[in-house]
Amino acid sequence: QQTITGTITDAETNTPIPGVNVLVKNTNRGAVSDFDGIFTITATSTDTLVFSFLGYKTVSEVVGTRSSINISLANDAQALESVIVTGYQTQRKRDITGAVSVADVEEMNKQSAASPIAGLKGRIAGMDIASNGSPSSPTTIRIRGVGTLNNNDPLYIIDGVPTKAGLHELNPNDIASLQVLKDASAASIYGSRAANGVIIITTKEGKLGEVVLSVNAQTSISSYTSITEMMDTQEYGRALWQANVNAGIDPNTNSIKYRFDWGVNQETGAPELNKVLIPEFLDQQQTLRSSNTNWFEEISRVGVIQDYNVSLSNGTEKGNYYTSFGFFKNEGIIKTSKFDRFSLRLNADYKLFNDRVVIGENLSITKTSEVEGAPINAALQALPIIPVRTFDGTGWGGPVAGMNDRQNPVRLLEDNKQNDYDFLRLFGSFYVEANLTKSLKFRTNLGLDYGDFTARRLRKRYESGYLNNPVNRLESSQTHDFKMTWSNTLNYNKTFNDVHELSVLVGTEYFWANTNSFTASREDFVIEDEDYTYLDAGTGIKNNSGFGAENILMSYFGKVNYSLLDRYLVTGTLRYDGSSRFGENNRFGTFPAFSLGWRISEEEFFKDNVSFINELKFRYGFGITGNQEIDNNAIFNVYVTDYPTTAYDIDGSKTGNLPSGYKLIQNANPNLKWEESMMSNFGLDFELFNQKVYGSAEYYIKETSDILILPPYIATLGEGGNQFINGASMENKGFELSLGKRSSFSNELQVDLNANISLYKNKITKLPSEVVNAYGGNGADQNILGRPVNSFYGYVADGLFRSEEEVVQHADQPGKDIGRIRYSDLNGDGVVNADDQTWIGAPHPDFTYGFNANVSYKNFDLSFLLQGVSGIDVINDFKYSTDFWSVSETGSNKATRLLDAYSPTNTNSSIPAISLTDSNFESRFSTYFVENGSYLKVRNAQLGYSFEEDLIKKWGMKSMRIYIGGDNLGILLKSKSFTGIDPENPGFGYPNPLLVKTGFNLKF
Amino acid sequence: CNDELDLDPKAILSEDQISTPQDAERFVIAAYSELGNDEINRPFSLWPYGNVRSDDAYKGGRDPGDGQHFHFTETFTNLTPNISFFDELWFHLYVGVRRANEGLRIMENFTDDDYPAKQTRIGELRFIRGHFYFELKKLFNRIPYLDENTDPATYKDVTNVEFTSDELWEKIASDFEFASEVLPQVQSQVGRADQIAAFAYLAKTRLYQAYEKGETHQVTGINTAHLQEVIAAADKVLASDHALQSDYANNFLPGPFENGVESVFAVQFSKDDGTTNGRLNFGDMLTVPQGIGCCDFQKPSQNLVNAFRTDENGLPLFDTFNQNNVDFANNTVDPRLDHTVSRPGNPWKYQTDLIVEENWSRAPQIYGTFNSLKENVSPDDPGFTNVDPFYGNTKTRVILRYADVMLFKAEALIELGQQDQALSLINALRERAASSTTRLVNADGIALANYELEPYQPGVNIEWTQANARKALRFERRMELSLEGHRFFDLVRWGVAGPVLNQYFSIEQTRRAHLQSASFAIGTHEYLPIPQNQIFFSENKYVQNPGY
Repeated sequence: QQTITGTITDAETNTPIPGVNVLVKNTNRGAVSDFDGIFTITATSTDTLVFSFLGYKTVSEVVGTRSSINISLANDAQALESVIVTGYQTQRKRDITGAVSVADVEEMNKQSAASPIAGLKGRIAGMDIASNGSPSSPTTIRIRGVGTLNNNDPLYIIDGVPTKAGLHELNPNDIASLQVLKDASAASIYGSRAANGVIIITTKEGKLGEVVLSVNAQTSISSYTSITEMMDTQEYGRALWQANVNAGIDPNTNSIKYRFDWGVNQETGAPELNKVLIPEFLDQQQTLRSSNTNWFEEISRVGVIQDYNVSLSNGTEKGNYYTSFGFFKNEGIIKTSKFDRFSLRLNADYKLFNDRVVIGENLSITKTSEVEGAPINAALQALPIIPVRTFDGTGWGGPVAGMNDRQNPVRLLEDNKQNDYDFLRLFGSFYVEANLTKSLKFRTNLGLDYGDFTARRLRKRYESGYLNNPVNRLESSQTHDFKMTWSNTLNYNKTFNDVHELSVLVGTEYFWANTNSFTASREDFVIEDEDYTYLDAGTGIKNNSGFGAENILMSYFGKVNYSLLDRYLVTGTLRYDGSSRFGENNRFGTFPAFSLGWRISEEEFFKDNVSFINELKFRYGFGITGNQEIDNNAIFNVYVTDYPTTAYDIDGSKTGNLPSGYKLIQNANPNLKWEESMMSNFGLDFELFNQKVYGSAEYYIKETSDILILPPYIATLGEGGNQFINGASMENKGFELSLGKRSSFSNELQVDLNANISLYKNKITKLPSEVVNAYGGNGADQNILGRPVNSFYGYVADGLFRSEEEVVQHADQPGKDIGRIRYSDLNGDGVVNADDQTWIGAPHPDFTYGFNANVSYKNFDLSFLLQGVSGIDVINDFKYSTDFWSVSETGSNKATRLLDAYSPTNTNSSIPAISLTDSNFESRFSTYFVENGSYLKVRNAQLGYSFEEDLIKKWGMKSMRIYIGGDNLGILLKSKSFTGIDPENPGFGYPNPLLVKTGFNLKF
Repeated sequence: CNDELDLDPKAILSEDQISTPQDAERFVIAAYSELGNDEINRPFSLWPYGNVRSDDAYKGGRDPGDGQHFHFTETFTNLTPNISFFDELWFHLYVGVRRANEGLRIMENFTDDDYPAKQTRIGELRFIRGHFYFELKKLFNRIPYLDENTDPATYKDVTNVEFTSDELWEKIASDFEFASEVLPQVQSQVGRADQIAAFAYLAKTRLYQAYEKGETHQVTGINTAHLQEVIAAADKVLASDHALQSDYANNFLPGPFENGVESVFAVQFSKDDGTTNGRLNFGDMLTVPQGIGCCDFQKPSQNLVNAFRTDENGLPLFDTFNQNNVDFANNTVDPRLDHTVSRPGNPWKYQTDLIVEENWSRAPQIYGTFNSLKENVSPDDPGFTNVDPFYGNTKTRVILRYADVMLFKAEALIELGQQDQALSLINALRERAASSTTRLVNADGIALANYELEPYQPGVNIEWTQANARKALRFERRMELSLEGHRFFDLVRWGVAGPVLNQYFSIEQTRRAHLQSASFAIGTHEYLPIPQNQIFFSENKYVQNPGY
């Protein structure tokens, strides 16, 4: 035994690397390099030392006679050696033959969203993420486009346990790695639930010999980027006057209390408005004083996000642990909306029986709570003349007779603010892993996922203008969700003669999910205090409801990886899944896959001739994956009681418990079978110029058939027409390219750039003939087949009529007039009717892209992410309210855009004349509402500073970094034709806020 | 492992679990239940289709843009086959048909021995099916017809032109005929259809069937055999325990007056019944005046109010009533006016301490200040229920009223040239109306108007020819049944909807600007378009109604 010391440095920069694990191979003896990269360890001359550190290639050295061993570790830039979790096993990146993307977790977590996935927008080729600014950051993930008419959500595997539930219940700081399995050859090991892609998340564990206390804190401030400009009280009056005058109706007879001083110009004969007269009070009782309320301002605020996280981890020769506590709170930019999350995690494992058995667990407990609410539509509709509060400040403002019947949006928020839910989720697994022989490993993993949802919602009594409800009501609800996954695997790994590497995996899995829920309600609570309003405290009517559901999956699977000479790679998988959702005839489905890889760069002829290419791998994969997202009861004829719609007061007693009936709501389909996706993937991985440039390219064809749909049906079937069928087919073809460049200009300046672009083409290839027009079409020569899913079908708005001549010359179009929209008579039959509709857009981008830069200079680091979408058609729902008086609601407020409407004195406008009724049927879906939703946004930027180690060492710290940054910092590009605010969120969804933040990361 | 995957479904029933007569009873209840499963945009009272589409009422609400689809229905503009509200109405009426057919199918699993009520329940189910088909027929004309023997798998192949209009009427009539044969004369439960209700509906169906129609829905002939059937069926009703209420008002009041002697069949509503808001009269919720609720829809037209004016003989001004607006200071009126139409200054629903004000109306300058009374109740009524922002009530919705049946018979007699026998039927209604003035007073006991109504006295105040009798009958139907959902369908049955409504528009649009563009296209607007979606689902096997 001798003491060996040495210094570990970065091969590229020659700077020392602290924290490197040094392990004597096949023993439990280990050490860690200090702040100067120096390690000390005892070993014998025959021992092998293994140096490993995340982000660097692992190096092994035989000690020999040396007492000092200096090691320079090569930056594992392309992480070829890095290990990737690919489903019941890990593989080296270089051995992977499927389409797998690895997320940069650190970059992902730079965004201040409740859901870690939201931070991946623009970072992974082929993965589209839609989200809005809601505090819980609900996200919609689409891997390789829309693949089915059924559920398109991917499957998540967290520490080996499958889930489809929201990731906002996972503390992003606990994530060690995140992989996206995009193609069928990679994903098919997850068989029946893998058709939409699989996202594999592994949480952190302690590292050998290193006690790390890590403290992260961050605070953000969020605000509206911009608000749709709505009319104020005066402007609404002007538009109201115009609407009446245009219709030839005396504007002073309007049912809202506006009055007008107006007359007809003697010379021109044109009506002229002199003054809008606003009554002092809206009501006779003089409680509602006329106001000039900007409702969007009234419901919005500066939001605050707080995010704190503490973790402690350690690893010893016998085991390791990682434990963390996190607190996240997002008070959104809509008043009263908030989301908070407490999370606790404990991951631990322990080695037994001469390290041949490892027993471990991963457990997370999260408690989330949320107050929802984004009355964007109510704020848009509420008239500015309505005050927020009554004159004395105690009551609510609200509509008076003549106005619309929409609620005061401020009241909606205030009266709802106590109505949060609490969701407690226990998620984790317990596992035993045994090395039966050197090559054979057995693992059993029991995953549990328990969700406990409780909510008490109090509907307060209120009076708001003519709207009122004197009865309050409490609804208390609970849902208990239990899911269990038990998987057993045998893993065999062996290298023969140094040239044949073989790994074989076989396994079984049992999945059981059970839900049980109930809701109870009561009316009449004397006091509306949250501490008082429990069901027992009410005195009025009681009501209740509840439901249950259960389903089971049973699976057998196997996988073989074979690599010859490290350059010829073959993988085959097979999964056999059974589901309780299918009938006996088709209960089990088989999901096979294979993939091939050729690392041409390992070939001698290549090495000799092409020196600038360090790595080049061709990949091909083929596989079949499934989808089973249908109702648990899809195979049955379903009769329900549904008391509210089948009860009847047959005795004429007017009250009390009524006799009730049964109704058929679904027809059985005992022949239902699995939906299948068949995907071929062609891939290419490369590294060039000493691994400075790296990337991959993918091309795929995905054909989904037997899509499980619940099609709309002919009305004569009544309520009993629902029937799940395997009824549709769809095809996706796509291309993805990821490129990275790592540059080091000196020890002090390093620049990492990476970019990705992806595109796909979707088309529906088959639908049952009777429902083919439910997706657009005319029942004759036009239907959705051969077109992208969700394509828009409607009329072509061909500008406005600007002269009597144009009106006369145009085809017969009921309601046509000067200043009105002209719709194209597409079939030229002289009449504009339903037959003149066509395909007017598709909500699929031409391509999506992202660009990420990381620059570090001395102690500073700077990063930013640009993300864009190009060539997508969006429906601008706001336009129904911003551009028309009567298309949505005449009694509702409109945007100031409408003041620029066509009029005899404003003949260049492209906005139709203000009209009291929609007699030209402009509410019809037409190209007027379809806009180009392309954009390029600065998704995230961050500037950090890491303190000198010498300085912080005194404080007992290993590292200390402070930073400032922001999310959604601006829209760099958007289409000129887009008339709304945010093309990413063109409807009434929760607005995406701009966010500025500051924070620090400490390690002790 | 297969057994592991065999799960029994949760919280639902499969057909083999439905095996007892008690279960079968529940299918009957479910079919009845659908009668009350309407909502504001597809009211089964059909107020937008029977009243607003006629000369009796305006849509109302805030302005034409509020519930715009009903503005289009009112003015016969922009009526296209893809208006979703027509599709929803069509669908929900077929829900009723399907529930009845499902019930009839289940009945076949039982014998009369183990299920003694079986025949009665079959009769009830066929009655309900007949009702829903009747509504579909009068709204859409050409409709697909399916019964309990039609295999659901073939439903989509059954077209709306498989049967002629007359064959459809025959099928509907056969349900009521069957029901009239098996149902007991009186049911112990008031909500159930009985034999008298079946005869009443049979009379109605045969009356609609009797008018034979041409290409443009004009009357081409009248089938006297069917008229005789009307009389035969109506006579069963007139001979029953049902009768006219002593006071016309009793038909439209809640509480002890509901399911009264004049109500032959009615939809039952309830509250505090274990559902969230109660099984209320959701379909009519929009017609509550703004002064006591929301949202002031269904506003009686000036034309309707004028029609109640009577001359010095107490008779209607058949041809001249609409020349001037009724002047309440100087003119006499039919008392039924103030049971049907609320006017500012009058008590609301006979409640002398609750006076209707002009500002109860939401848009008086557009739709005037009249409100519809019959379906409404006093805000003090225990059934009056806030369903924020709307107000519902639990008053029964009368489908068949004894007075209606009297007029079926009178109409049949007149068309058969037996107008003399019709006279007493019409006069009975006029006499009852003339005496129904007790409640039409203010707090001081003073009458709300000068009421003057007399029976027809041939040779004295009228010449009782067939033409005059027909005129009198048609006017009487309007006065007796206005705002009860019948007027438009009466006009179509008589083949006069086009001329009557275009004449109405020509005058009324000088009073009401919202009717400016209104125009009725003869041969088209008598019926709604077949919903475009249904044509698609049928793979173009359904044929669109002419003109759409």
